[in-house]
Amino acid sequence: GVFAHLEMLESRAYQAAVKQEEREQQEEKLAKLQARVQELRLQRDELRAKVDLQQKRQLGKGGAVSDPAQPSARAVLEWKIKSVKATLQLFYLTGISGKLTKRGVCFCISTAYEGTYLDSYYLDLLAKPEVQIHRHSIPIFIPLEQIAKKYLQTDIRRFLSVLLDHLNAYVGRRYQADQLQEHFSDQIEGTLQRNSLCNLLVFNYAVSSKSKTFPFSVRLLYGDLCCSLPTEVVVSCAPDAPTALAEAAAAHSELFRLMALHKAFRSFSSAEESVD
Amino acid sequence: MDETVAEYIRRTVLKIPRDEIKTMLQKWGFLSETQLQTINFHQIKENISQDVVQLCEENSANIKQAAVLDIIYNHIYPNKRMWSVYQMNKRGEETEIFDLTDFKKKFKRRLRSALKNVTINFREYEDNAIWIRIAWGTPYTKPNQYKASYVVYHSQTPYIFISASMLRSNLPLLCQALVVASNYHDIREMELRSHSLNSLKDIVFKRYSQNFQTYCPRPLQERNVAPESADLRIIHENKSEKERIQRVNQEVFGDGPQPKLEFAQYKLETMFKSDPKIDVLDKKEPFRCLVKFSSPHLLESLKSLAPAGLADAPLSPLLTCIPQKARNYFKIREKKGLFPGSFVSP
Repeated sequence: GVFAHLEMLESRAYQAAVKQEEREQQEEKLAKLQARVQELRLQRDELRAKVDLQQKRQLGKGGAVSDPAQPSARAVLEWKIKSVKATLQLFYLTGISGKLTKRGVCFCISTAYEGTYLDSYYLDLLAKPEVQIHRHSIPIFIPLEQIAKKYLQTDIRRFLSVLLDHLNAYVGRRYQADQLQEHFSDQIEGTLQRNSLCNLLVFNYAVSSKSKTFPFSVRLLYGDLCCSLPTEVVVSCAPDAPTALAEAAAAHSELFRLMALHKAFRSFSSAEESVD
Repeated sequence: MDETVAEYIRRTVLKIPRDEIKTMLQKWGFLSETQLQTINFHQIKENISQDVVQLCEENSANIKQAAVLDIIYNHIYPNKRMWSVYQMNKRGEETEIFDLTDFKKKFKRRLRSALKNVTINFREYEDNAIWIRIAWGTPYTKPNQYKASYVVYHSQTPYIFISASMLRSNLPLLCQALVVASNYHDIREMELRSHSLNSLKDIVFKRYSQNFQTYCPRPLQERNVAPESADLRIIHENKSEKERIQRVNQEVFGDGPQPKLEFAQYKLETMFKSDPKIDVLDKKEPFRCLVKFSSPHLLESLKSLAPAGLADAPLSPLLTCIPQKARNYFKIREKKGLFPGSFVSP
C-alpha cells in the first residue's frame, strides 16, 4: 500500500544521497590531484630553466654571468682528479714518495740519471715494535742490510737518503754502461766485463786516427757506491805505441774520471774526427 | 781427437732438439760458418751428430771445448735440472769490487789444489750470471763428463744456484771454492729447490710481483673483467664475496705471474690432537707426518684456490709465505708462542 510505497521512495532518496556524496568526494579528489599536477609541472619548468641556464653558461663566451659560484659537480671532480695527478707526478719527480699503511709506511723510490727516469723500487716498513723492513724490491746486491743497521733505527731520513744515493748511483752506472754498449759497440773490442753493481768495468776499445786503429784497454773502478763516476781509472795502450798515443791515453783517463762514460766516448770520438 | 771427446760431443748433440741444433752450434762458435753449411740439418739426428763429430775431428776438439757446448745446452734448457739455492755470509762491510778474472782464478786454484782431475768451464751472460760447469774425477780416474755439476752465480749477491748430480762428497769442496772465490765467509744450503732456475732467482732476488701500497702512478694492469652479462635478469648473488676474495688474493699474491715451484713440503712434528676418549696414541709423542703439495705450478694453483671456491680466503700463511721466506721445505713444531716454520736445519 501507501506505506510500502513511501518506504520505497525513502530508500531511493537515501541511495541517491549516498551516490551524490560519493560523486562529490570523487570530484574533490580529482580537483586535488589536478592541483598537484599543476604544482609539479611548475617545478619541472623551473628546473628545466635552471639546467638550460647552466648549459648556456658553460658554452657561453663571457656575457653576463650573474652567478659565478655553483660550478657543476662534474667540473669539480675533474679539477680534483687533475690536482691529484699533479701531486702524484710531483712525488714521482722528487724521487721518493710514501704512503701510510696499516702497520707502517710504504715508500716508492724512483731513480733517475741526468734527466732520464729509470727504475722504481719499493720499501715496506713496519713501525712497531720498532722500525723494521717488512718487504722490499731493492736489488739484492745493494747493501740494504748494512745501511739499515746503521741508520734505520736512529735516523730514518738519513737511511732513506743514503739508500736513495746508492740506488741512483747504481742505476746511473748501469745506464752509462748500457749506453756505451748500445751506441759505441763498434769501438769496443771483445766483451765489456761488468758486474752486478756495475762498479768495475774492464774492456778494450779502439780509437782510429789517420786511418789506423789503436787499441786501448781500460779499467774503471767505482770505489764509492754512492757515486756514478769512477774513483780509479787506468787506461793503457800497447807498450810499443807512439808517445802521442800515450798522451791520448792520459787524456781519455781524465775524461773518464770527470764525465759520464758514454759522454766521454762521444767527446773523444768527435775530437778524433776534428784532428783528422 | 780423443774417442771420449767424440762420444761426448755426439751424445750432447743428440740431446738437442733437431730444430735448435744449428743455432746452438752457431752459439758455440767452434765450427766455422762454412763448416756448418756442409751439414744437412734435415736428416735424422743420429746422422747430424755424426757429421758434427766429423767436423769437430777436423778442428781437433778437446774436452774443454766440448764442455762449452754442454753449458750452452744447459743454459737454454735449465729446467731439465733440479736446482738448489745456497746462501753465503760475509763478516766485513767492505765495498764489494767483484773482479771476474780474480774470481775465476781463485775458484780454479782452490778446486784444483784439492782435486787434480776436474774439468772447469766458465761462461758469462748478459744478465751478470756466471755459469760454471765442473766435471768431477778422482785422484785415479778422469772426470766424468756425464755427471757434471752446474753452478750459477750473480756477482755481488750472496746466493748461489747449484745443480749437483754428483757425489755428495764433492759438495763441500765446491762450496768452499765458491766461498773463497767470491770473498765470503761461509755458506749454507737453503730450504729452496725447484726445476725452474729463473723462478728461484725471482724469489731470492725479490723480482717477483709483490703488492706494494703506494701512491705511485703505476700503469694499472688490465685485469680480465668478464663482460657484465647484458641480461639484467641474471644477478650474481655472492658478488661482494667474490670481490672480497679477489681483493684479498691480490693483496697476498700481487698482480703479476708467480715464481714457478713444483712442490712445498711440510714436515710436521706436532702432537696429534684428538678427542681424549679416542686415544689413538698411547705415548704422548709428536705425530710424525709429511705433507707435500705438488703441482706443475704450485704458486699459481694456490693463487687460484680461493677464486675457484676450493678454499677460504685468505689462505693459511704457511702457504702464502713461501716466496717471502724463500723456502719450500718447512718443519713445523709445536707452537711455542712464535710462528713455527722458521726453524732451519743448519
